[in-house]
Amino acid sequence: MSHAAFLLPAWLFAIGLYGVITSRHFVHLIGCLTVIQSSTYVLLLAVGYRTDAAAPIFANLPIGTPAVDPVVQALVLTDIVVGATVTALLLALALQVHKRTGTLDPHELRPLRR
Amino acid sequence: MTSLRTIIAAFLCAIALGLASAGLYGLPAFGHYPGPYGDIINRQGPAERHATNMVTLVNFDYRGFDTLGEEFILFAAVIGAVVLLREHRGEEASARPDQADEAPIPERSEAVAFGCRLALGITALFGIYVVLHAQLTPGGGFQGGAIVGSATALLYLGLGYPAWRGMMRSRVLDTAEAAGALAFIGAGLAAIGAGAPFLTNLLPLGTTGSIVSAGVIPLLNIAVGIAVAAGFGTLFLEYLEETREPESGGEQ
Repeated sequence: MSHAAFLLPAWLFAIGLYGVITSRHFVHLIGCLTVIQSSTYVLLLAVGYRTDAAAPIFANLPIGTPAVDPVVQALVLTDIVVGATVTALLLALALQVHKRTGTLDPHELRPLRR
Repeated sequence: MTSLRTIIAAFLCAIALGLASAGLYGLPAFGHYPGPYGDIINRQGPAERHATNMVTLVNFDYRGFDTLGEEFILFAAVIGAVVLLREHRGEEASARPDQADEAPIPERSEAVAFGCRLALGITALFGIYVVLHAQLTPGGGFQGGAIVGSATALLYLGLGYPAWRGMMRSRVLDTAEAAGALAFIGAGLAAIGAGAPFLTNLLPLGTTGSIVSAGVIPLLNIAVGIAVAAGFGTLFLEYLEETREPESGGEQ
């Protein structure tokens, strides 16, 4: 069962993908995309995790204390910042879609309909 | 209603779940991080750069160039959102809130106003603290900037729209965001001017644990903190302008 923790990011990815495919509302779709993205946070943190190790902050720890991997944590920070700003951008796009077409249902939007 | 689309979606997602799980089983067991990069940084970082927060050290020193890219993703996304939202805003958005089908707008409760005013100063101060202690304790420019940006949302909730709108000047926010991004590049170019590669940490390293230690890292974090706080403020501003009733004659 040593790999059971990795099932969580796989599960988050799968349910997020299911939500994106079946979504009938753009705001809901953006929420599902956030769920998919959070699977990458969990996966990165799980990869760098070490049982019984400290956080990689040596303010009150002697150097050489076993600590988890700071590189993946730095990646997660980048991931979260990009995720938050892309969500803001997508929501702005959804607002424009609603203003122009009066609907947020992807199935009611026809390509190239004016 | 179970449509064919739902069944196909569930089937595809089950396949994705299976493939992802199979792939993830090839990783080292959970809790047994094999190294060596994280361990090298944990061992060398504090001695080499006099910082104690290894995550900030990776982001703003060893991989500082990547963080510059991250900073500009944020910059580009904020610009994109602003361009999309401002396009349809009338020249003169009125201060009246837009109403859907004449639905009554509930009064802001006094508990919300009081709670937000109480939390406002503490939140802003905590955000600044997180930015300034980037190289020492958990946090940094991005996190602290986001906290300061959230304080501007509390301003809206606590003081109401007119007071908040009076304080949020989009010209000030735009300038602050651009200045933060430019300062990051400036720190990188300064290293080139001194004859070292881009973004080399050339400043004196100071005493480990001091707020002015770790060379250029605190300066970069302050620059990023300003840019992120202004970026969040801009986003709140643009989205909340969407809730205003358009002035008659303006765009729909």
